Amino acid sequence: MTTGGWILMTLSWGAIIGLAAFCFITMIKGGKL
Amino acid sequence: MQSPKKRERWGSRMGVILAVAGSAVGLGNFLRFPVQAAENGGGAFLIPYFISLLLLGIPLMITEWTLGRYGGMHGYGTAPSIFAIATRNHFLKYFGVIGIIGPTVIFIWYTYIESWLLGFAFYALTGKLMAAAADGTQMKAFLTAYQGLSDGGSFFLTYVFFLITFAVNIWVVFYGIKGGIEKFSKITMPTLFVLGFIILLRVVTLGAPDPSQPDWNVMKGFGYLWNPDFSHLKNVNVWMAAAGQVFFTLSVGIGMILTYASYLDRDDDVVLSGMTSVSLNELTEVIIAGSIIIPAAYVFMGPSGMVEIAKGGGFDLGFVTMPQIFSHIAGGWFFAFIWFLMLFIAGATSSVSMLTPAIAFVDDEFHLGRKRSVILTAAFCFVACHFVIIGLRHGVLDELDFWSGTFFLVVLGTIEAVIFGWVFGIDRAWAEIHHGADIKLPFIFRIVIKYVTPTFLLILLGTWTWQQAIPVIMMKGVAAENILWVLGTRLALLGIIVAVCLLVFLAWRGRPLPDIDNDRTITKGDKS
Repeated sequence: MTTGGWILMTLSWGAIIGLAAFCFITMIKGGKL
Repeated sequence: MQSPKKRERWGSRMGVILAVAGSAVGLGNFLRFPVQAAENGGGAFLIPYFISLLLLGIPLMITEWTLGRYGGMHGYGTAPSIFAIATRNHFLKYFGVIGIIGPTVIFIWYTYIESWLLGFAFYALTGKLMAAAADGTQMKAFLTAYQGLSDGGSFFLTYVFFLITFAVNIWVVFYGIKGGIEKFSKITMPTLFVLGFIILLRVVTLGAPDPSQPDWNVMKGFGYLWNPDFSHLKNVNVWMAAAGQVFFTLSVGIGMILTYASYLDRDDDVVLSGMTSVSLNELTEVIIAGSIIIPAAYVFMGPSGMVEIAKGGGFDLGFVTMPQIFSHIAGGWFFAFIWFLMLFIAGATSSVSMLTPAIAFVDDEFHLGRKRSVILTAAFCFVACHFVIIGLRHGVLDELDFWSGTFFLVVLGTIEAVIFGWVFGIDRAWAEIHHGADIKLPFIFRIVIKYVTPTFLLILLGTWTWQQAIPVIMMKGVAAENILWVLGTRLALLGIIVAVCLLVFLAWRGRPLPDIDNDRTITKGDKS
């Protein structure tokens, strides 16, 4: 895989995992899960 | 104010999030996305994909959650009545009939395909699938025989699997929102993730299984999907493909999320819940699905094989290529079973959601009670499914797929975006979105919801009408012997549209629009 491929895959995966983590952490912190 | 009928409610927040995510996660996540990405610039495709997600997918998702909860507050859970009460305009409710017809018609053909997945999972266990999968031609013959399009298979079993699939769907919705769909989603969605990770782990540990082809390895397979070709970004069709994929993957513009959200409480959050369901869908699509089908196919077929596979599209990749790949792996029958079971679960969590708008319409508007509404809807769908089964070889499924699964979505999505941002009004919309919200949307989304999303959708609708709908209407590429079947399908669809419009008219005859002073007071009181 090229450097460009790695960068795009890492950014995409990071954005998705980051969004999911943010959502669940916010819900857990708010006691609303 | 006329007091709204008391409606069922979700039992937990996690339940509704998993149900909405289950509705969004379907066959398209696993079969359509990887092929679209690989064909449209690899990693570069993810740029228009994420832009579309921000400008189209998330705003429409929030719109549907918000309008659905607003409708539920007034006792309504389907697009016609929600449009009427949100806009105070009786005429606009007729635009909402697509939000009932679309998902019901998709259910009619989707359930049949879903049943094939159950059948293939069964044949993976019996060893019959692996025997056929040793050779590509044989595997294709196995599929067509299973579908009843050629000799050599037992269509009786195909029909039995259809009956089982149909029964499972009806059984889930029969027990209602909390006791049926929510319980089902809480079991099936975690199962789907576990099955997905099992296959993903197997794929990433494949290495380079053919010693004579060391370049046919997993990393090159990932590269086939992710290596960017930025020249594709100059092509407007790539941007349209990305917008289309985002549209399909989130199940927006169909009406199911409107109905699901109508069972929320007035004070339930819609922003964080909506974002969570988006994130779960993307996790399944980009991370799990993106790591399975293309890398696995590359390892066994190589770069030249991938070109051939891409021509067959996602459907062939899932039903024909994947069993062939599993036949090369030790314990392949087990992974083939897991693969088809996972796809069956993904299909089932979507198809149960497709039934809910029609059931909610009958229950909300004619007060027949949930169980009678389920029986009526099931009876209609069961009869209609047989037209798909009988007319499969004559293009009935493809015709229904285009109208219900493609065109109606964009039409309803555009109507929703215009109604929410312009007729309901962005001030009310913004206040309604943030009522009970756990997080605040960035201010930029106010501009996106009002201007960008409707414009984006109008461009998408115009482009698709020009590029796809007109050739379809003109029956370009339809075989002469199928023309009558296709015409019959269109007439049947038209008949259903007229019938549902009539039912909406009868339901609302003499019924006043509810007093909205109540929700004005609520929104004025919001600090957002």
